[in-house]
Amino acid sequence: MIRPFKADLHVHSVLSPCAAVEMTPRNIVWHAAANEIEILAITDHNAADNVIAAFQAAKDAGITIIPGMEVETREEAHLIVLFEKMRQLKEWQQYVDVHRGSSLNDEQKFGAQFIVDAEDNLLSVRPEMLLAPLSAGLDEITRHVTSLGGICIASHIDRPAYSILSQLGFIPAGLDLTAVEISRRLKPQDAVQKFPSLKGLPIVMNSDAHTIDDFIDGPKTVFHIEEPTLAEIIMALKGLNGRKAVV
Amino acid sequence: MGGYGVILGALTSALPVEVRTGGDKLDQPVTGGYASDLLSNVMGQAGAGYIWVTMQGHQNIVAVASLLGLAGIVLAGGVAPDEETLRKAQREGIVLLTTELSAFEITGRLYSLGIRAQ
Repeated sequence: MIRPFKADLHVHSVLSPCAAVEMTPRNIVWHAAANEIEILAITDHNAADNVIAAFQAAKDAGITIIPGMEVETREEAHLIVLFEKMRQLKEWQQYVDVHRGSSLNDEQKFGAQFIVDAEDNLLSVRPEMLLAPLSAGLDEITRHVTSLGGICIASHIDRPAYSILSQLGFIPAGLDLTAVEISRRLKPQDAVQKFPSLKGLPIVMNSDAHTIDDFIDGPKTVFHIEEPTLAEIIMALKGLNGRKAVV
Repeated sequence: MGGYGVILGALTSALPVEVRTGGDKLDQPVTGGYASDLLSNVMGQAGAGYIWVTMQGHQNIVAVASLLGLAGIVLAGGVAPDEETLRKAQREGIVLLTTELSAFEITGRLYSLGIRAQ
């Protein structure tokens, strides 16, 4: 039976240097449950170390975690990448690690990058600068994500920085994007008129939260699907088999 | 003043740039210059006949050059264009130059050769 599932596919945890320390996987999951959010993707910058804790924290909470990451391409455009299985995300993480620069994070300037467990215990700190472009470009990255069975969603395309439109002017033809994300500044009905190159691409809205307040107040997408899986979400984005995505 | 009268070929011979595509289109006048890596910004600011300095190697730079009728693109800082960028520039007859000089340095040298933003 198809029913609505409220989803937030773009949330930062304490692993992202810019996120507040309250953004532990357990706390995010707890607030998701309290706000009837049933599908969640923890999408840290160029890293996925806190996704496993989110899985564990979500186990008894009735919340589905979609394995994901927010990737920065060589062009400095951000992409949300999502996978069906944790195994695929781990493979993706290896690709990201190979294409990362050698800079180290300056905690004083950018904030620390914490890896935690499902009980909010600190496990370690990632020393590399995660908020930085990979050496791989957009075309190569989207192709590789697709080859691993994942999907790419262009992040906050209406924002003046780190978006595919700010960096590249328009969405290149033939790029393997499953959807585009718009921020709360843009109304979905105005999106194509303002950015004609979005024509035909499904639109999603997420909180892109770095704090719990942003997570609760931020926009969400409601997927009308049978079960909370990536395959069902893809069908909804494509409008197949009676599924749909509502923003 | 401004860059009217400066021919693209005069710039490519005076500067340490490599002509990667569009070698048969160097006889056109350069009317101005612009430097930015945000293509959304370039689309609003650069104009026909401009030479554009960027570090962005993605194929969309060719589309922007086509759309605006730019005289040419300079990829600065030793950035290698994506393969698809080269193919597309070749196909569309866009002059694509590369240089090891930094974006700052090549922009300064273009300025000293008489190229101005309008």
